[in-house]
Amino acid sequence: MKVAFVTPRYGPEIMGGAETAARQLAEHLVAECGWEVEVFTTCAVDHITWDDVLAPGDSVLNAVAVHRFRSASGRVREFYEIDGRLRSAPAQASETDARRWLECNGPVTADLLEALRGTDADVVAFYPYLYYPTVAGMDVVSVPRVLHPAAHDEPALYLPVFGPTYAEADAICYHTAAERRLVQRIHRVAQVPQIVLGLGVGDVVEGGRPGGEILGIGDRPYMVSVGRVDEHKGSAMLARFFRLYKERHPGPLALALVGPVAVAIAEDDDIVVTGVVSEADKWDLVRDAQVAISPSALESFSLVVLEAWEQSVPVMVNATCDPTREHCERSGGGLWFGSYREFEVVLERLIADAGLRRLLGGRGHAYVKRYYQWPALIRRYARFLTTVGERGPRWAGVDP
Amino acid sequence: MNGQGVPDGAGSPAEVDDGDRMYLARVRAEIDEEVRRRRAAGDLAGQTESELEELFLRHAPLGSTRQELHEVLRLVDASAFIDPVVPVESSRPGGAVVKKGVRTLNFWYLRFITHQVSKFATASSRALHILDQQLCDLSTKVEALEVPPSVVVDVGWAHRTDSWWVPGVVTELEGGRRRVLHAACGDGWLVHLLAATNVDGYGVDPRPGRVAGQELGELDLREEPVLGHLEAVEPGALGGVVLCGLMEGSGHGERRRLLEKAAMALAPGGVLVVHSLSPSGWDEADAPPEADIVQARPYRPGTWPYLLGEVGMSVAVTPGPDGRDYLVVGRREAGPSQSR
Repeated sequence: MKVAFVTPRYGPEIMGGAETAARQLAEHLVAECGWEVEVFTTCAVDHITWDDVLAPGDSVLNAVAVHRFRSASGRVREFYEIDGRLRSAPAQASETDARRWLECNGPVTADLLEALRGTDADVVAFYPYLYYPTVAGMDVVSVPRVLHPAAHDEPALYLPVFGPTYAEADAICYHTAAERRLVQRIHRVAQVPQIVLGLGVGDVVEGGRPGGEILGIGDRPYMVSVGRVDEHKGSAMLARFFRLYKERHPGPLALALVGPVAVAIAEDDDIVVTGVVSEADKWDLVRDAQVAISPSALESFSLVVLEAWEQSVPVMVNATCDPTREHCERSGGGLWFGSYREFEVVLERLIADAGLRRLLGGRGHAYVKRYYQWPALIRRYARFLTTVGERGPRWAGVDP
Repeated sequence: MNGQGVPDGAGSPAEVDDGDRMYLARVRAEIDEEVRRRRAAGDLAGQTESELEELFLRHAPLGSTRQELHEVLRLVDASAFIDPVVPVESSRPGGAVVKKGVRTLNFWYLRFITHQVSKFATASSRALHILDQQLCDLSTKVEALEVPPSVVVDVGWAHRTDSWWVPGVVTELEGGRRRVLHAACGDGWLVHLLAATNVDGYGVDPRPGRVAGQELGELDLREEPVLGHLEAVEPGALGGVVLCGLMEGSGHGERRRLLEKAAMALAPGGVLVVHSLSPSGWDEADAPPEADIVQARPYRPGTWPYLLGEVGMSVAVTPGPDGRDYLVVGRREAGPSQSR
């Protein structure tokens, strides 16, 4: 079986969730199923500029064949004008405007499409829905197409240019059932063969250092938030909430923000911003935390929540983020907050109640073991791709 | 062949055992109560609370199904006052003095404008609060009417592979090239049977946890409301729809909507299969408990040609061997090939 992935960025240097997910699926298909996998992507690292940074051409990365192509254009200035105009009523945008939005968002990659046309893969997987290579690429392949939307509830999802992308997919692979509900609320694709898959949690790589030592806070208890420190990820809100919490609850509790920093958060005695840390340090930091928190409202899966549960650490999530809240509701492994007051009450309760923390952490751990272990997960995905391939293009087979 | 799906189960923690579920529900209720108590006590300064609300809601998804109107109204309230006192801090030497001067000169004008905007915002907010209150009152009244929710009637002796009606249905659906939906599919017993005869079937079931045991298997089974699912199906996309246990316990309006949506989902020539208990079966001693609990009762077999005729289908009704149940097979009139 041979699978091709189409994703606008690819490689270990890419921080994007969807692109990382594509790479993990590709590499696990090779490693655990022995499949042949190739990737069609650009030379970009940055998803705003789409500048060609990596070398074009063919290479092999962890046994996956990677074909990189230059972009004819990345995000252009006109994008911001169109985006501003369309985002208030995206569903009412004209086809022309929506198409223009897509092209202005980049990366426009004619060479990639030409190469994709000649692929000898049995199935082509597109990841995520949002960019030109997926929308245009769906039209050029003659083998079955699997769409991994990685959809958020964002204005772009409503743009008419994406309607055919969803409608023409031969199969859809969702991260969560919440993502499926979101997509089906907007696009009539409930009949399309599909799977709710998610991602596997990697092996725990512990360095054996106490988390407090890594943070330089000694034995103080702390809560941890792993992921890009970014305004859009809720990091600034979390820092503000936590500062007020500490004003109202003086004590030793600290907050660790762990990940690449996109927005400046002032450090003080109670908040530590680590920047990027090693895998071993990350696992150590999570292991010793009282609580792991995902403040982001815009997640389509959130691996960091599952990684906390892998180590039996309870989680707190943003109540308006359907996928992370769904994880908590299904697993019984976490609580959610929809305001500062809820944040305060939930955190008070978790810090004060070790039994509750143990229960939540244990429930979360069992959930991860059941659904999100790589060997089992990738075998499910491989079975799904096999059935998609056997159905052939246009799954219904009614328009031969 | 079939894909595979994980049922959603969102909002229904099927993975959590009963003891844990009850304890966690109590914890959640205690948290909610404490939040209400503190909000009522007003232990945060109004301006601080507004700022925090705005901060939280700034990145909340616009269409989040988790937000309620009164929560969003908190943001409206927080933003209703337009402050005419423009900040004058400056990073440049003397900048603050210049800005302060400009502010003083323009203050009468800004105050006039912002006062009107604030007045408008406050009036709008008040109107929205009234609307919210009226919606809450309406919701309470509707709940008080105690309209029983639609239920799936579990008829163990009829919803199984060796039931009298199943072989005929499989034969009816065999050879089709479009997908076949089984609702409510339970553990996927019919989907499995269809797969064995190379029919591309999938199933949905609204009952929490009913497909959970099969979620890591090879069948495409999903935990979803049936009507919601059919509304998200592309019109004309399906080759067959099998409805089991869905007609007996639902109200007339919902039955009609279900049938309309099912008919709309079918391609020309597509088959709608309805298995139902008969009214006499509904009254027998071994009838499912819903026979006593719900207000609805099954249609008589003779009603179906009329009902499905309204949605453009030809109908055959076959009574079961002992009169307790019957099978309806409707076929959407074949027309010119429909392009998807």
